[in-house]
Parts: sequence; C-alpha cells; structure tokens
Amino acid sequence: MAVPVILPKMEMSQENATITEWLTVEGETVRKGQPLLMVETDKVSVEIESPADGILAGIRFGAQETVPVTTVIAQILAPGEELGAVEDPDGQAVSLKTQEFALPADDRVVTPVARRMATELGVDLNAVSGSGPGGRVVKADVEAAASATGPRGLRASPAARRLARAGGIDLAAVPGSGPRGRVQAADVQALLAQSTAESPADELIPFAGMRATIARRMTESYQRAPHIHLRATADVSAVEATRRRLSELGDEKITFTVMLVKVCAWALCHHPRVNATVTDAGMQLCADVNVGVAVSLPEGLIVPVIRQADQRSLSDLARALNDLTVRARAGTLTPADVADGSFTLTNLGMFGVESFDPILNPPQAAILGVGAPVRTATEVGDQVVFRPRVQLTLGADHRALDGAIAAQFLADLVAALEQPELMLL
Amino acid sequence: MRELSYLEAIREALQQEMRRDPRVFVIGEDVGVYGGAFGVTRGLVEEFGEQRIIDTPISELGIAGAITGAALTGMRPVGEIMFMDFTTLAIEQLVNQAAKIRFMFGGTATVPFVLRCPAGSGTGAAAQHSQSLENWFVHVPGLKVVMPSTPYDAKGLLLAAIRDDNPVIFVEQKLLYKTRGPVPEEDYTVPLGKADIKRAGRDLTIVATGVMVARALEAAEQLAREGIEVEVVDPRTLKPLDAELIIQSVSKTGRVLIVHEAARTGGYGGELAAIIAESEAFDYLDAPIVRLAGRDMPIPYNRTLEYHTVPQVENIVEAARQLAQGRV
Repeated sequence: MAVPVILPKMEMSQENATITEWLTVEGETVRKGQPLLMVETDKVSVEIESPADGILAGIRFGAQETVPVTTVIAQILAPGEELGAVEDPDGQAVSLKTQEFALPADDRVVTPVARRMATELGVDLNAVSGSGPGGRVVKADVEAAASATGPRGLRASPAARRLARAGGIDLAAVPGSGPRGRVQAADVQALLAQSTAESPADELIPFAGMRATIARRMTESYQRAPHIHLRATADVSAVEATRRRLSELGDEKITFTVMLVKVCAWALCHHPRVNATVTDAGMQLCADVNVGVAVSLPEGLIVPVIRQADQRSLSDLARALNDLTVRARAGTLTPADVADGSFTLTNLGMFGVESFDPILNPPQAAILGVGAPVRTATEVGDQVVFRPRVQLTLGADHRALDGAIAAQFLADLVAALEQPELMLL
Repeated sequence: MRELSYLEAIREALQQEMRRDPRVFVIGEDVGVYGGAFGVTRGLVEEFGEQRIIDTPISELGIAGAITGAALTGMRPVGEIMFMDFTTLAIEQLVNQAAKIRFMFGGTATVPFVLRCPAGSGTGAAAQHSQSLENWFVHVPGLKVVMPSTPYDAKGLLLAAIRDDNPVIFVEQKLLYKTRGPVPEEDYTVPLGKADIKRAGRDLTIVATGVMVARALEAAEQLAREGIEVEVVDPRTLKPLDAELIIQSVSKTGRVLIVHEAARTGGYGGELAAIIAESEAFDYLDAPIVRLAGRDMPIPYNRTLEYHTVPQVENIVEAARQLAQGRV
C-alpha cells in the first residue's frame, strides 16, 4: 500500500515549512529512515526521512515551495504499485499528476556502477532498458543511453575519454585533431591546460536555507533597531578560579561560557527591562529568563536557547549547553530549541577577538558580546598586578533601553564576574 | 663480453646442458655427422657420440613420438625439426599426446622435451620451407612456445626450456642464425614467461617477435632521428606470455604497433591486440592498435616477392611514424 510522506509539524505554532532541497529523485528506490528532503522553518532546517522502504513517487512540491504542515508531499510505493488517493489537510481531494515515469518492474535491478554512472552522466535510469541478466541495468546500458543523447558520431580515443572523464571535460566540446576528427589525448590536454591557465571564475553561493534566514533577520535587525553599544571590562580571575574549583567538585566541566550564562541570567533577573523583546507595538517584558547562546556552524550561526536559565544550577546549565551545542553541530536541533529567547550571549573569545559590536537578535532588546581574556595591568591596592580582563560589549535596542539602564545592567555583569559570590546573595 | 652468433649460442646451450645432465640428448634428421641442416649441431656427435646425437629417418612424426616417449620415461630430449613447416607431419604426437599427457594423468607424468624448429622466410626456400607456424602451437593448451630474438636470449631460453617439465616448442629464426651478440660463457637461463624491453621509449610501443625484433630496433633507430622515441618490447616467450610488461608499456606510450612475420589472419598479433584491449591499458590507448604482419599468402620463391610478403624495416618505420604522428 502506498505510504504517504507527510510534512511534519515540528512545533505547536508551526503552520508552514519550505522545501529547500530534495535529496533523492522520483522513481528512486529508498529505504526506511533514508533522508528524502530538507525543509526549513523560520528557525531550523530539518531532514525528512522516508517512512517506508519502496520507491519514491508522486512528488507534489519542488524546492522553494512553501507547504502547509501535515500535507502529503510524496508517496512511497511498492514495485508496480499505483499512487494512492491523497487529501490535503483541509480535506480537499487532490488530483495527482499522471505518472511521468515508468515504475520499475519487480525484478528490475541496477548494478552499483550503472547507478553511479547514471548519476554522473545525468541519465534517467527509468528510460534505460536493462540488458543484463533478468533485465538488470548494467554499465553498458547507461553508457549507451548517455551516448545516444550525446552528439552523434563522437569519436574519441580511450585515452582522450579517460582524460576528459578525469578532468571533467565534455568531449563534445573538444575539437578532434585525429583521423576523421577523432579527439586525441593531446586535444583534451590542450583544453585542460587552457582552462587551468585561466583564472578560476568567481563563485556565487546563493543565500539558501539557514543562510537566507540569517541574511533576512540580520538586515531587518540592523535596519530597524537603533543599536547602541556599551563597553566595559571585567577582571575574570575570580570567576575563572570559581569555574575551575567547581569543575573539580562536580561531575560537569564548567566552561567560561557556562559561567557567562549564569552571570547573564542572574543580572537579567535584576534588570527585567533588559530581559525583553521589542516590536513596533512596544516592548514586552519576558516572564522567563531564556538565554540564547550563539553557536557557529559551517553553514551559519544558530542560537539554541537555555530556558529559565536563572532557575538552573551551574552543572545543569553545563549539561544543557553541552547538549544543545552537540545537537546544533549534528543538525538535530528542533524548532523549540531555538525559540523564545529573551537575551543572547555571543562569545568570540576563543578566536582571539578582544571586542566586537554584536547585532541584536530580533526581537530581543539586548545582546552581550564577549571577547578574549587579555592579561592587563590592574591596580590592586597600592600595587599594579597583571590580571586577565575580558571586554564586554552590550548591544541594546535604543527604542526600549536607554544608555543608563543598559549601563547599570552591564555594571552588574562586571560585578558578578569579578565577585561571583554576589550571585549567592 | 664475448660475442657469439645466434646459432653458436644455441649449440653452446646444447653442449653445456648435455655435459651437465646425462638425460639430455639430441634427435633429428641429419643432426649427427652432417651437423644439422643449418649446422647448429655441428661437432656435437664427436663429443657426445651417436647414442646422444641421434640421426633419424625422414619421419617428423617419429621424432616427435620418440621425444615424447623418452621424456615420459625420464629423459630430457631435444628434438629438431629441420624446417618448422614439417611440424605438420608431427602434429599428432605434439598436440594429441605430448600436450595432453601431463593433464590426463593428473600431473603424475611430465613430458619435458624441447622441439627446436627453424622457422621463417628470407632464405629463398619457398612456400614449404619458410613458414612461421608458432601460433598453431600457442593455441594448444599444454605446450609452451618460445621465440628468441638474440643470441643471448637463445642460449638462456634454451637452457630454461630443457629444464622445464613441459613440452616446449622452440622457434628458431633461420635469418638470425648468423647474427652476433654478447653471450656469457657460463650457464645462465632466461626464464620462460618473461618479456624484455629491448629499447625504451615514450611515444610508441612496438611489440615484435623473432626476427621482427631486430627490424623493429633498426626502425626505432631511424625514427629516433626524427624525434620519435619507440619502445621495443620482445615477449620472448609467446606462451606463457608476460602480458604485464606489455600492458605497462602500452599504458605508458598510449600507442602500440604489433609486428610479426607470420600471416596476419589468425596470427599472434590478434591475441596480443586482444590482451591489450582487454587490459587496463585500454584506457590509455590514444590510437587504434595496429598490426603489421605477413601477408595472407604462401611465401613466394621469387626473392623480390618474398621480400614484400613479410614486414621489412621500412614498413615498420612507416607504420610506426603514422601511428606516432596521430595519423592512424
């Protein structure tokens, strides 16, 4: 029976998701659990897995289409099976497109090399008739199909073909100097030499998925929220000592970032106006202190949120942060993991950056940028000693926060970093 | 190093092996007092006597049967067929008996003989005394076929062939008998199944057998003056064949010319071409595999016609040049 592939609802308030990419093609044999496509919401990008073994068929939506959740977007069929009837979430029956491909017969098998070549050469396996035992599609069938669609009568020596394959050159584009216009190895080599001599073309990477979301949100924030940035430095020797001692005492390794989350959560409790979101309608004071921590991934920045950070012990924070970071890197964060942040912490200290001006994470009213500790001459009593100092830069939305309020919050951050025991009061 | 002729190198191999191994004897037509039709065995009867240098009646089947039987009983005979053409008369013993026995007795019996066969054209000996029939024997499982092209290889390969436990067809080149080359005095073997690069080059591989090796080398010398660097590979043993060396060479040069004297159709060149085409060298071929071989006709008695029946140096030069210049 046809198994529907349904666009899942990933969080309570979610209505739509956008298909970013199909990872497999119609007519392909898939296994249960195999990723079929990528979808993204405003917040995360998620792989949708196949619900069954079978053949992917009846794909109804392509990349960049936005689809309501719980919609049937494709079906998984047994060999020879017809597409099943489909209703949209609103109960409307859907007229399915007639099948544009022939479903493979029961005994149809494609050899691994034929499958790989078909992918490389862009040959539609469904259009290839198999000549192997039991109708198996073998390499020669794919090659025949590829050459049938290629230019007629293309002559090339095996060596030229090998070089063209290795160099990713289309033989049809190579003028042949051999007898009867045969493409020789030297012809391919000449073209390869020419193409390497030219400087490589600039590469355009279109904003897609996560990158597009970041681009849109940062533009909006930078253009709409009047940013102010306030700087202060804090002697972190005390907090560093506390961190080390607690790491030894407890089971969890307490990192500097965990300490920062703790300090922010503590200070936010004392400054509810900073723990807020801003819209055109006004500022909304958040009931919970939900601290987001920026995590850098190859494809972009993501900010998983530690909920009710003010209620948690340091070891609990360490566990939560570790879990979120691991899942962020594995790409398995859920929309809920990145939702409802009331404040964001971003630390570039590990890259040696001493200070920077962070852009607000909308709709939050404030963000803290933390730099690398620098050993700095510090006056202690009558003496000058060297202490590790960290630059803190608080970004604030001036619509909601004036400099004075932001400054008081920043001062409390510095105080808690320099005297962590304050947080016990 | 001391130089010997191809003929003397073969004689020295026989002589040394007969001194070393009492099981070795020579049998053939006029091999004793007369010293062989080409003089290869001259002087041997004086040293070893008529018990070990045996003259036979004119019966090639008799010679082939005698060496098969003697080999089965533990001797290591070396038979001589005066002209390879006459192996036609011996073929029942060679193909149906000698080649099969080791296999049909499950390996318990061996047939360690060598049958020397002077072959090839160029001596004005006409159609029945000029043939190159090596590929007939290549086709028969159980026989080994050796075809030396230099005095050094002739001695080393003959010693290896006599010591081999299988029947070996040893194809000598009549035209090469007088050619000279360095040959060590001591006992040495050239292993069967080991090809040799007679000249290294980068532009083109010529695989040549027997007398064609010398012609290919001469052609390579001329082509070098035109800037074409030819690699000449001599299989030396047609069966078992050292395919690997040939495949390596062709993979390096991307072009191959196969040259043999035997008639083109059904000749050894077809086998070589197939082996190359089936191998990983295929992906390196930058031109079709080209064969240069004897015409599909009996060798004429007329010397001019004879000359033009089999590949000559100038034919090899022309074919190799075309191939190297990408005109094929």
